[in-house]
Amino acid sequence: MNAVLQYTVQGLAAGSFYALAALGLAVIFGVLGVVNFAHGAFYMLGAVAAAVLLDTVGMSLWLALIVVPLLMLVFGMLVERLLVRWLLPLDPLYNLLLTFGLTLLLVDLVKRRYGVSGLPYERPSALDGRVQLAGVGLPVYQLFVIGVALLVCLGVWLLMTRTRVGMIVRAATERPELAGALGINVGRWVTPVFGFGVALAGLAGVLAAPFRAITAEMGSDFIIILFAVVVIGGLGSIVGAVVGGFLVGLVEAFGQAYAPTFAQVLIFVLMAVVVLARPAGLFGREEATA
Amino acid sequence: MLEVENLSAWYGEAQALREATLSVAEGEVVTLVGRNGAGKTTLVRCLMGLHKHLTGSVRLDGRDITTLPAHKRARAGLGWVQDDRGIFANLSVEENLLLPPRVSESAWTLEQVYDAFPALGSRRRAGGTTLSGGEQQMLAVARVLRTGARVLLLDEPSEGLAPVIVAQIGDIVRTAKQSGIGVLLIEQNVRFAATVADRHYLLAQGRLVESLDNDEFVERQDELLEHLGI
Amino acid sequence: MNKRRTVATASMVMAGVLVTAGCGAGGPSAGGGDFTDDKVVLALLNDASGVYKDVSGPNSKIAIQMAIDDYQEKYGDEAVVDDIEVTSADHQNEPDIANTKAQELYDREGADVILDVPTSSAALAVATQAKNKKKLYMNVGAATTELTGAQCNKYTFHYAYDTWMLANGTGTVVTEDGGKNWQLIYPDYAFGQDMVKSFTGAIEAGGGKVAGTIATPFPNDNFATYITKAGAAKPQVIGTMHAGGDLINLVKQYNESGLKDQGIDLAVGLMFISDIHSLGVEAFEGTIFTDAWYWNLDEKSREWADRFMEETGDRPTYAHAGNYSAALQYLEAVQAAGTDDADKVVEELEGKKVEDMFLRNGEIRAEDHRVIHDVYLARVKGPADVKEDWDYEEIIKTIPAEEAFRPASESGCSM
Repeated sequence: MNAVLQYTVQGLAAGSFYALAALGLAVIFGVLGVVNFAHGAFYMLGAVAAAVLLDTVGMSLWLALIVVPLLMLVFGMLVERLLVRWLLPLDPLYNLLLTFGLTLLLVDLVKRRYGVSGLPYERPSALDGRVQLAGVGLPVYQLFVIGVALLVCLGVWLLMTRTRVGMIVRAATERPELAGALGINVGRWVTPVFGFGVALAGLAGVLAAPFRAITAEMGSDFIIILFAVVVIGGLGSIVGAVVGGFLVGLVEAFGQAYAPTFAQVLIFVLMAVVVLARPAGLFGREEATA
Repeated sequence: MLEVENLSAWYGEAQALREATLSVAEGEVVTLVGRNGAGKTTLVRCLMGLHKHLTGSVRLDGRDITTLPAHKRARAGLGWVQDDRGIFANLSVEENLLLPPRVSESAWTLEQVYDAFPALGSRRRAGGTTLSGGEQQMLAVARVLRTGARVLLLDEPSEGLAPVIVAQIGDIVRTAKQSGIGVLLIEQNVRFAATVADRHYLLAQGRLVESLDNDEFVERQDELLEHLGI
Repeated sequence: MNKRRTVATASMVMAGVLVTAGCGAGGPSAGGGDFTDDKVVLALLNDASGVYKDVSGPNSKIAIQMAIDDYQEKYGDEAVVDDIEVTSADHQNEPDIANTKAQELYDREGADVILDVPTSSAALAVATQAKNKKKLYMNVGAATTELTGAQCNKYTFHYAYDTWMLANGTGTVVTEDGGKNWQLIYPDYAFGQDMVKSFTGAIEAGGGKVAGTIATPFPNDNFATYITKAGAAKPQVIGTMHAGGDLINLVKQYNESGLKDQGIDLAVGLMFISDIHSLGVEAFEGTIFTDAWYWNLDEKSREWADRFMEETGDRPTYAHAGNYSAALQYLEAVQAAGTDDADKVVEELEGKKVEDMFLRNGEIRAEDHRVIHDVYLARVKGPADVKEDWDYEEIIKTIPAEEAFRPASESGCSM
């Protein structure tokens, strides 16, 4: 019983990274129709940026949680303006290749600049230690990660459901052409939405910094799991991304506990089962064949 | 107020429209009749700026809008109701109504909409696509009326609907006409077209073959039906 | 709308981006007088861009150049050969790339010896090439005991370390110090399985027991639940056989788990000083591991480390020092043989007792070509004890050369 509680917290903590990053991936896919392969690299950049800012200017995790996503927002908007935008009218495969190439470039640049062994990161001591719950010591930092992720997901959900911006993004996600014909300047939202998605990946990276090895390659496997998350949750579905993220985190944790060697395979088994039962994913909508 | 001149359009090498010239005046209801594949929907997509491979010109209130992007045309006063009604599933009924921006003083308020379409008022929180087909059609039309669009482009609004609903749509079109809105109605339902329109264009193989006023249209209805193969 | 098709294609694109190896090699270079092409070519084959780049990588080329400089300074006009070159290639830790590159180096670039070659599978591939081409190969970077075991051959020598030596050092000593009850966590591939076997042997020999083992996927970044599970068995020591980024992930998550406070220690099977440097001593404080060499061991090693730092800006790992030593001992053997003829150089190397800044009480064993030397049990210092950058290790025990490595009688090697 105690172990189950621990596994659950560990699964939700790992799921937090997936949920935040998948949320960004889903928003970008929804509005731009771009499968952003570079999302893992953006997650990596978030962690690297946090480590570098701590090392050079002594920026704490608290500040980095705000500053790094803002930097990533700007970076993402630049990437959209300078690169992604030009390929949007073409087949989505072109942007898949572009972001794949961008991944290789970013990973190599980080390797060149910061080496392959990774960067150190120390979190604030307030997040050290454990909380006793039902006789189990639960790491404060894992609970903190889960809390931040839930808050951000809630915030994004409110933004999407309670504001005009969210309404426009939902409409543009569902039928961009129609939204345009109804007077919405969809193009105006493309750049900030891409930046926002990238910022979410960066935030996941910052949260991962004290917890994971900060290396140029840290996003390489992450992005594969992330694709599984969005397929399970439903492509372009915001709720699906969040639920899928936490679900995959839990499957990973309980897989590690009860079928250690198959922990990663289980995620893809789950994906296969979901796709067979509901091809559009748990929260995806079947696309009408026009 | 809407004037189209020598409009030709292509899909790759294939020409879908051949030098179409037509106009819709203020408070006028004009139909575009033709069989499937005649180029009706292409014409509307050209007018909305969604199909860009074209020559010729489109003017709205004397202003050349041929090269404007879709969202600017909507803001200039073109209101499009597409043939599948275009209701957003991720938006509630009320959000569907509120999504497009107001473009003129004649825009309906939400109260006006709910007065005219009580079914929408009672389901305002429901998901857009949970409505019945007829209700979705009402919502689509109400949505463009709420923006205050000056010209409505209605793409087959009667398609697949029960006669009683079609009659209601006819009422809305007449109401719009009375308030000075111009309506371009794409129809295959010739009988319905005859009940609401002032003039008719016949479109065949991408070409406007005839322009008739409603009396002539009613008189030659059977001949036209045969000619068009509808 | 073809969004879904696009995602389906994503995996195909990934699969399509394959690394293509270089093409075939030319014929063997014709032997002239005492030296082929009138020169000696030392070839470094290692990971120039991946996970082992910082452990060895391009900086080992500088270490080899330092050996060449030292050789030339020592012998001056007496040197049997003037023209000594060093060349390098990247094997990306892939056995098939290593195989192709080794052929290229031996045949086309006229390499007389290939050095380093981390990653066991790649190391064994190169050993086969060395055997077929009858050219020398001195491995520094790989851990597998197969190189001096069942797959040994006349032209292959193994420097620095191997899994037996790591397990013997860490497993035996920690067990004898009271850590009797172990849980082992290991990456589920050849290296990890090999390490578990070696550690289990060493722990049992030391009077301890391995109560459980947990295999993990490789690579992996989430070990939290594995660690909790290992800790739930209440062992005295958790031994991890992970390396590189996986090790850093595991250590971070072990620190998070609170097992340290419950008195469950972490012992690391394979660790490099570059790992400590990247993660910081705080994260590793108190961790015990076996090291083949440490730059701050004494005056002799420190002097060389200072020279290395001038050239590279970093302190050397054992691999840099090992490549230096291997290159130097190769050149000494060439000097003694008066030729770069592989068979004659092997004759000079076999059974030689060596003492240099890397090899202490060293011997190039003739029976299995294992290069034995003193090795060290190290404990990672706490932040307060670190006096300068890279000052991370406290040497708690020197394991004498003859005890540090698997006895030749157990190697199973026949040449």
